[in-house]
Amino acid sequence: MCAGALTLVGAALAGNGGFLPPTPHSPNAHRIKDAYVLILIFTGVIFVAVEGVLLAFVIRYRRGKRPRDAEGPQIHGSKRLEVLWTVLPVVILAAIGGYVFYKLPGIANPPAASAADETTITVEGRQFYWMFRYPNGAISVGTMLAPADEVVRENVVSAPDDVLHSWWIPALGGKIDAVPGRTNHTWFEAPAGVYAARCSDLCGIQHAKMLATVDVVPASRYAAFIAERARESSGIALGKEEYTHVCASCHRLETNYVGPSLGTDPLLTEVKGLETILRQGIGNMPAVGSDWSNAQIEALVTYTKTLTKGTSGNAG
Amino acid sequence: MATRAETPALSYRSDWRQGRVTSWLTTVDHKRIGILYICTALMFFAAGGVLALLIRSQLATPNESIVTRGSYNEVVTIHGTTMIFLVIVPILAGFGNFLVPLMIGARDMAFPRLNALSYWLYVLGGAILYLSFLAKGGAASSGWTSYAPLSTLHSPGRGEDLWILSLHVLTLSSLAGGVNFVVTISNMRARGMTWMRMPLFVWSILLYAWMLVLVLPTLSAGLTMMILDRHAGTHFFDPAHGGSPILYQNVFWFFGHPEVYIMILPAMGIVSEIIPVFARKPIFGYKAVVFSTVAIGLLAFLVWGHHMFAVGLPTRLDSFFMVSSMVIAVPTGVKIFNWLATLWRGNISFDTPMLWAIGFIALFTIGGLSGIFLAAFPVDWELTQTYFVVAHLHYVLFGGSMFGIFGGLYYWWPKMFGRMLDERLGKLHFWFVFVGFNLTFFPMHMLGLLGMPRRIYTYSQGGLWETYNLISTIGSFVMAVGMIIFVVNIVRTARSGRRAVNDPWLADTLEWYAASPPPPWNFDRIPYIISARPLRDLRRRLAHEGRL
Repeated sequence: MCAGALTLVGAALAGNGGFLPPTPHSPNAHRIKDAYVLILIFTGVIFVAVEGVLLAFVIRYRRGKRPRDAEGPQIHGSKRLEVLWTVLPVVILAAIGGYVFYKLPGIANPPAASAADETTITVEGRQFYWMFRYPNGAISVGTMLAPADEVVRENVVSAPDDVLHSWWIPALGGKIDAVPGRTNHTWFEAPAGVYAARCSDLCGIQHAKMLATVDVVPASRYAAFIAERARESSGIALGKEEYTHVCASCHRLETNYVGPSLGTDPLLTEVKGLETILRQGIGNMPAVGSDWSNAQIEALVTYTKTLTKGTSGNAG
Repeated sequence: MATRAETPALSYRSDWRQGRVTSWLTTVDHKRIGILYICTALMFFAAGGVLALLIRSQLATPNESIVTRGSYNEVVTIHGTTMIFLVIVPILAGFGNFLVPLMIGARDMAFPRLNALSYWLYVLGGAILYLSFLAKGGAASSGWTSYAPLSTLHSPGRGEDLWILSLHVLTLSSLAGGVNFVVTISNMRARGMTWMRMPLFVWSILLYAWMLVLVLPTLSAGLTMMILDRHAGTHFFDPAHGGSPILYQNVFWFFGHPEVYIMILPAMGIVSEIIPVFARKPIFGYKAVVFSTVAIGLLAFLVWGHHMFAVGLPTRLDSFFMVSSMVIAVPTGVKIFNWLATLWRGNISFDTPMLWAIGFIALFTIGGLSGIFLAAFPVDWELTQTYFVVAHLHYVLFGGSMFGIFGGLYYWWPKMFGRMLDERLGKLHFWFVFVGFNLTFFPMHMLGLLGMPRRIYTYSQGGLWETYNLISTIGSFVMAVGMIIFVVNIVRTARSGRRAVNDPWLADTLEWYAASPPPPWNFDRIPYIISARPLRDLRRRLAHEGRL
């Protein structure tokens, strides 16, 4: 317990200990943190005042040696005080509300930029993976690449046959839900770095594992990446991502996991059979690839063939 | 005819409905129904608490595997559904049933049979929910909010259907109960008890009942649309066919947010009864407290959208719901300030009911303040769906509602059962729960800010995630020890508790005029009411006449 408390204090000094939002790396996240801090100050003062008064009254007006039935002064109220403690909170809340509205445009709307300096990436949530579509048609799964120090607009969607998800990169701003049938918008502008992202709305059995990585890289590397992905639209790199983030969120090669093991499944090497399952689902398995292109499915099979190559040839 | 005249009409053969058990099964007495409600709700509280301990055990350390994935989601769903629909709402109905007729000087509720129906529907609804663990595919697993389309198109088992059925039944139960309270309070008050002489707890039950009557039909409609989507081929919430998942959220939260105030207002009512009695003062600003109750009841209908800030509503709607949510903080603050002013210059005794009431003020204040972060929608975008929200809602519904309820149990136990709960065990119960509560739920604020979403069955982060989660789990078991002490207290009190007099706390309200426990007819005589504190009036008159 003591050691626990020490690590706590140590960590609190080192970082923010969870008393503040994660260190922001995007202008909108910065402004959210500013609003958070303002509210923390106001509520902190109110907290200390209310709990302090409560404690003081409880100590000061305890019965002590007085008889149990001795009455306090029979004061029934005070209009002046009622007005005071109605108006004062209104003023405080108005101050908080005013500050939030002042910060709002800088949080909700990306800064005006010329089209050259901004990118729009579509973020699609599916049970239980994130898929990213880039302006040139390139696709990645599980890891989103984004250009550094540029406004990145995100169109956040969920497939019409899927459920609600919520896209969240804690260091780069707030959540926005991925709602089937509609497109939501958010944005960030971040320096190069790797940022954790995840689903934050219960979306089913593997919700806890619906993680993603946002890899913010220099613009040139980003451009090269999406160009290569577009060229190799059925390449093994995409296939590996698909396997890792789509299949492996519920299946293992050797053992049963959420679903049955895949190691001996002949479908792994067969485009047609795999396509049927991905597009239509089977049993408890949702149609995880209902909106995939043929190239995406080929990419997956290109990769899964390499998995079965080493094994005893059950596939054949 | 002749024989009848000859035999005396005195038959003492008791009716089957007067048996020890059958009398409880067939009772229409508001007091017995109230006690049945409370006992049943406490059993569900134990069940929901065990589920909570399972959750905390699973999250104690990273990559734990005690209850995972599907079963974890079932546990989370049934924990939330239990605590809201089977514990807080019905236990408050239990207090209302027992107390409202006694407090307003009536002999029973307006519709005693309807009252019994409400209770038995509640038992039925609860049984359906718990038996659903045995259903094909297990119990419902899409959270107590059961958002579509996860709950409609992506939950194939029978659990979700039974969840809908259970809630439908519970809705009918509360609806009938709500109507009963409104009619009783509006029409059956003792002579002289004007609206402004009515006990604050009765005011809170009046608002509780009105809100139930007004919002439950919305929930019923939502549940019906859900079951139709699941089985009748409709597409209310199915976007692939022109439906909208957002519609479900609007329907659910139009019910769901008033529901929060349904759960907190009567607890505030309990606190408003306890504090003046143990501070030996009248409530400060009776009218202000009444008006704030009514204001909260009305404003509660305008804030539901603050649960939906992240779904991508237009900014003007987000702004409206932020302002309305902040406005509702004002009457809430008024209540807290009036309670504090009631303590001011009082003669405060720290009997167990008072400890819970003071605990309520201390903890509910934290829940109210964390609500301001969530009302500011850009900040909510960062905090929503994380453990910060879990912390906030438990400070409101456990630190608030449940603390008020425990205070009420200790306060009215002597009236209900004629024996005083043990004070020493009661205080021990309070301190274990108070300390355990803060250990469990305070670190959750930090977990949320560190990025831990709610409803995840596992995490792999060490460091602070692990530390806070472990502290939280330890706290939950400290609370469990407190609850065991409470059970011991109940058992000991039933066997050898001190007998209670009519008015052991020197209280203010009419229920203490009746015997402890009250006879079936409640009062031999109902005094004319000249103020909001009829018992104090009575004591003063007796003292004046030298009879006390």
